[in-house]
Amino acid sequence: MNDPKSLWHPVATSIDLPRHHIFHGQLLGREVAVWRADDDFVNVWENRCLHRGVRLSIGTNDGNELTCRYHGWRYANRSAGCTYIPAHPADAPARTICNRTFPAVERYGLVWSGEDPVGEPPLVPILDAGTPFTLRSLPVNASAEVVLAQLGDHRFQPVDALDGDHAAMAVTELGDFALALTAIAASTPTTTSTAVFFVQPVDSDRSVIRAVLTDTPADSEQIAVLRHHATRLGQLVALAETAAADQPAPEPMVATIDQVSLALSVMPERETNRSAPLRVQVARKWETAHDIMAFELVSTGNPLPTFQPGAHIDVHLPNGLVRQYSITNGPGDTACYRIGVKLEAESTGGSQALHDTVNEGDVLAISEPRNNFPLRRDALRTVFIAGGIGVTPMLAMAQALQPMGLAFELHYFAQAEEHLAFNEIRSTLGDSVTVHLGLSPGETSAELTRVLQGYDHANQAYICGPGPMLEAARTIAAEAGWPDQAVHFEYFKNTTEIDNSSSFEIALARSAVTLQVPSGTTILEVLRDHGVAMPSSCEQGACGTCVVPVIEGDIDHQDVHLKQTERDAGDQIMTCVSRATSDRLVLDI
Amino acid sequence: MIKLYDYELSANCYKQRLMLSLLDVPYESVPVDFFPGLEHKSDEFKKINPLGHIPVIDDDGYVLWDAHAILVYLAAKYDPSGQWYPTEDPQLLGEAASWLLFAEGTTNTASAARLYVNLGYDFDIDVCRAGAHRLFRVLDEHLWFREREGLDWVCSGSHPTIADIAIFPDVVLSEEGGVSRLDYPALRRWTDRVKALPGFTIMPGVFSVGTS
Repeated sequence: MNDPKSLWHPVATSIDLPRHHIFHGQLLGREVAVWRADDDFVNVWENRCLHRGVRLSIGTNDGNELTCRYHGWRYANRSAGCTYIPAHPADAPARTICNRTFPAVERYGLVWSGEDPVGEPPLVPILDAGTPFTLRSLPVNASAEVVLAQLGDHRFQPVDALDGDHAAMAVTELGDFALALTAIAASTPTTTSTAVFFVQPVDSDRSVIRAVLTDTPADSEQIAVLRHHATRLGQLVALAETAAADQPAPEPMVATIDQVSLALSVMPERETNRSAPLRVQVARKWETAHDIMAFELVSTGNPLPTFQPGAHIDVHLPNGLVRQYSITNGPGDTACYRIGVKLEAESTGGSQALHDTVNEGDVLAISEPRNNFPLRRDALRTVFIAGGIGVTPMLAMAQALQPMGLAFELHYFAQAEEHLAFNEIRSTLGDSVTVHLGLSPGETSAELTRVLQGYDHANQAYICGPGPMLEAARTIAAEAGWPDQAVHFEYFKNTTEIDNSSSFEIALARSAVTLQVPSGTTILEVLRDHGVAMPSSCEQGACGTCVVPVIEGDIDHQDVHLKQTERDAGDQIMTCVSRATSDRLVLDI
Repeated sequence: MIKLYDYELSANCYKQRLMLSLLDVPYESVPVDFFPGLEHKSDEFKKINPLGHIPVIDDDGYVLWDAHAILVYLAAKYDPSGQWYPTEDPQLLGEAASWLLFAEGTTNTASAARLYVNLGYDFDIDVCRAGAHRLFRVLDEHLWFREREGLDWVCSGSHPTIADIAIFPDVVLSEEGGVSRLDYPALRRWTDRVKALPGFTIMPGVFSVGTS
């Protein structure tokens, strides 16, 4: 007999997964939460929230994410990565917080999964050749072994001879946990029906019988057929339970719950570099607006890592350049990443390369998604302000708030109608989107003043667009009474003229190393030259990836990532552009 | 206004609160110190209900006890549509009566197991749990076939009845008594449908369904 853990087993029927329901199942002693997302993907997960171990089957399924009942941790369709932690609403959860998933395949009206199954779920030729009709599953308080033994003697009537009795039975073994039974009518041997019985080993003393007829009866006969099998299987269940009760109770199966991974149990390791560990294929490339090309990227290997609204990826281009693009996908839409690339008039080769040389079928190297623009999902009112291609992160964010019923407005500023990108997403957001076309800088400021009036408690604003628009919005928001921490910016690029003339000393407090930063060289470069692994992304002070905590010293901020209050606090620095005004900076690395 | 002699953690009192909420009928809850005070067994309370049980309602001087009897009264009096207690439809009415008796069974098994676990009642817990599983198995099959016929509720009408309300609390709180619903997927789907009813209300241990 094969190791049951290496086999595929049914864990549910397809009709057990109606819209927004969470099915509670068990296989080989392990409880699973099974749920269908709005894109029809079936998730089979360990039935346990990573946070406090509460069963996820009592949570909620909104079609995109599963939310734990206890402290509201949200997990994404497919990846089971944590997308939001209500107790830390301003922070992006670490990518390493990812629930255990099991494979899932729907076949013959059943959902198949397994501990560590090999290959694909079993193909049953007699079902493939027919029109399978799934019967009602029955739980049994008996081991799979006992149930299979009873099934060998099971009797039922062919569909066309339900009223008769004493049909002859023919048994066909189908592997360790399945058999096919053919009922042959006593009076007319040409009248037959075949059913395949799969026995799901729930625990050492419990099973579920899942049965599929090879051929679907006529609509008018279906209920009678289902009742016939329910009755006959009910009798079998009683026999199996009587047989099991005569035997000593077996030891329960013990499902090993994975220990919290090292990545979660220790401080997360810093990413070591400007790395591109993922390979994705361009599944689709289309012009979503004038000069804006959209790319749909799918994995070439493992499932894509979890992203959160506001996240971006680094795209490493064939010409060696690295560019950042926001993911536009809504929550739960996790089978691909969709990005929009604006052809820059003064392209230094990044957007140009993507527009001209990258085509459908090409493979690109990208970073894992990184979120330096996290979305709070607890605001009473959220204002999104997008200039041009700055709409991309806003689309992901708006799609996250909409199913939660959280009020938002998306103001989309663009030159003209033909510059509006991703109409197919915007059309799902309804009246919450307002388009502002062809405004002059003065008109834009007037509009921003109107949009940003009336700040109130628990309002949040997210702004992404060209630098001058962001600066205008920053001033207008401050004048309208928006506190610094309620207004969030994402810059395309840092247009500040970087002054790298200073020279100073950096002391690495944890490493007990002191290094010199000469003029013309960045802190980031000095660190890397001395073997300190440092993550980075845009390397121009816009994205916030290369941040380092500062313990002591005066910072010469030259980035556009930090808010004014964060700058004033003086406890963090963007090492790619910012420097020191004091002779010495003590860094907490 | 209706007075409901009430205990927050009682499944039978929750049946009344749920019914009143679904019917959008205002009421006043009169807390009875069921545990640990055993106020329902006091001489004072026995003047209201000589059986010493809650819930009891007092509707403007009309006093009625017994959880399922109160459901009959509330629905008959306060549901002008006549759907919750379908007096105009003899077949549905018969089904409702049948399932109300079934609810006596779930009260005496699943909810009894909960009293054993939560409040230390002296019941034979194995008998309670086995009885609950026997009834849940029947109800799960019943509801599975109802779904097959495009029907959502315990009785065969298109609208829920007091039978759903009589059974729901015993089912939805069963895990507190150590009665898992893992083997009853159709029963679990039905609890989702009850929770999605307009006017649904929760109690400790009963969660609302998702917002979308």
